[in-house]
Amino acid sequence: MKSNSGRNLKLGILIVSGLIVFTLGVYFIGNKQNLFGDSILVSSVFKNVNGLQSGNNVRYSGVNVGTVKNIKFLNDTAICVDMLINRETGSLIKFNSLATINSDGLVGSMVLNILPPDKAPSRTIEEGDTLASLSQIATADMLNTLNKTNENAALLTEDLLKITNSINAGEGVLGDLLKDEGLAKNIQESAENLNRTTNSAKAGLAKLNGILNTIDYENSVAGLLLSDSTAQKSFSTIIEDLQATSLQIKEISAGLGQFSNTLNSEKGALNYVVKDTSFVNHLDQSMQNIEEATFRFNENMEALKHNILFRGYFRKQERQKARMKKENQ
Amino acid sequence: MKFLSSYQQGFNSFFIEIGEMGNFMGRYFRELFSRPFEFREFLNQCYQMGNKSLLLVSVTGFILGLVFTLQSRPTLMEFGAVSWMPSMISISIVREIGPVMIALICAGRIGSSIGAELGSMKVTEQIDAMEVSGTNPFKFLVVTRVLAATCMLPILVIIGDFVALIGSAIIENSKGDVSFTLYFNQVFEALEFTDLIPATVKTFFFGFAIGLVGCFKGYNSKKGTAGVGKASNSAVVFTSMLIFVLDFIAVFITDIFYN
Repeated sequence: MKSNSGRNLKLGILIVSGLIVFTLGVYFIGNKQNLFGDSILVSSVFKNVNGLQSGNNVRYSGVNVGTVKNIKFLNDTAICVDMLINRETGSLIKFNSLATINSDGLVGSMVLNILPPDKAPSRTIEEGDTLASLSQIATADMLNTLNKTNENAALLTEDLLKITNSINAGEGVLGDLLKDEGLAKNIQESAENLNRTTNSAKAGLAKLNGILNTIDYENSVAGLLLSDSTAQKSFSTIIEDLQATSLQIKEISAGLGQFSNTLNSEKGALNYVVKDTSFVNHLDQSMQNIEEATFRFNENMEALKHNILFRGYFRKQERQKARMKKENQ
Repeated sequence: MKFLSSYQQGFNSFFIEIGEMGNFMGRYFRELFSRPFEFREFLNQCYQMGNKSLLLVSVTGFILGLVFTLQSRPTLMEFGAVSWMPSMISISIVREIGPVMIALICAGRIGSSIGAELGSMKVTEQIDAMEVSGTNPFKFLVVTRVLAATCMLPILVIIGDFVALIGSAIIENSKGDVSFTLYFNQVFEALEFTDLIPATVKTFFFGFAIGLVGCFKGYNSKKGTAGVGKASNSAVVFTSMLIFVLDFIAVFITDIFYN
């Protein structure tokens, strides 16, 4: 009897353990599907559910908050997705949130995401509410786009192959560029020349830079020219005056040109003076005579100073000069 | 002609055996719902089949989880999908590998044990003696064993699955730094009732098949002690085959209803 009781106890423990494990398994699976908790039924209408199934997760800000309960056609373009959302979390979800269907990873199952709204205030969701939906690009659409891209890439590769073959065959400008040795030499020389020119330009720029660095921008004329705005106005005035002056000079030089033409062509006194060489000789002789006469006149005047009649007058003048000199000192 | 006649004889004996098994099953259901109930013997058989198989099932389940995770891990790593490991392992174990592997082990342990026990009772005429003494041997020996096998196998499978998941979690924890909490969160995230319920229901059929075939082979064993060995052996072979057939039917029906 005692042995039987021990056996029954062990058997009971085994059966209860098995049932507990099974019950816990059922509870956790059901809990994940929101079957046991208090939940809110809300729905959203989509044009395409992209393979969403009953039991798929519903996420709000990346957190699992419920599951898809049912998917049904409303009409040929609208599919209603009912979802069970945990009541506790549901009290945080705003009515103006957007429902969207995405893939959980590239090859994962579909997930219904509820996107939080912008800052616009709204009430929280309630039983039977319908959330606005947002269609997003499905994996299939992405793959279609990728397929088109691949086709284009294949066409491009084919064209590129043709171009490469033509270039290799030496056809066209690029072919010449790659195959023609003379052209290559020319290009090389041009490149060398360009290099030299660049070096020269570099050296020139370095010199110019050195010169510019030596300019005292605050105390020099160059600095004044480059930096003083009032000097700029003065210079513009000077340039305007110079322009006016140059115009006047031009007019004067035109007048002088006309005068010299007249002088060269007509028989005036000046023309005679300028051109007649005998007149010059006469004039030279006259000048010598005048010089000689002047010398003699000076002698006469000196003799006059010593004359008794005029000596007093000259002495009187010398005294006056000496007196004025003294007064000035 | 002799060759053909031997094949025909083989086919005939196969169908005859199927027919006899059908009759045996019919008698089982008749005896199951008729009084008196051999409850004490039923509990004894539950203990023998359940508690005595628990260690074997637990060790097998634990190693199954370990090995399955270790073998799958490198392949999933190649695809960068190691995070899917708990989902994949749990679905595989709960849906298919756990029930089938544990049923096969129980077929080896329980089926052969029933076949040998009833076979030896048959050849030593203990069953005849029970009939003479006024005890219904079918009710006492067959009904209790088949019912015990039917009831205990689901419990063994549930415990075996749980231990296998623990084994898998240990490997994931040591190799991939996945905590036990995260592992079991992902397991229950991946599992659905469509995985758990059909898998549990089919284990009742597996248990029933193990008990019924073991009892049938033992109850109908002939030709002395050699017949006992043959009954035991054929019980294991036939039950193993029947488990795969039942599994296929279960998967087929589940697929029709849930997909």
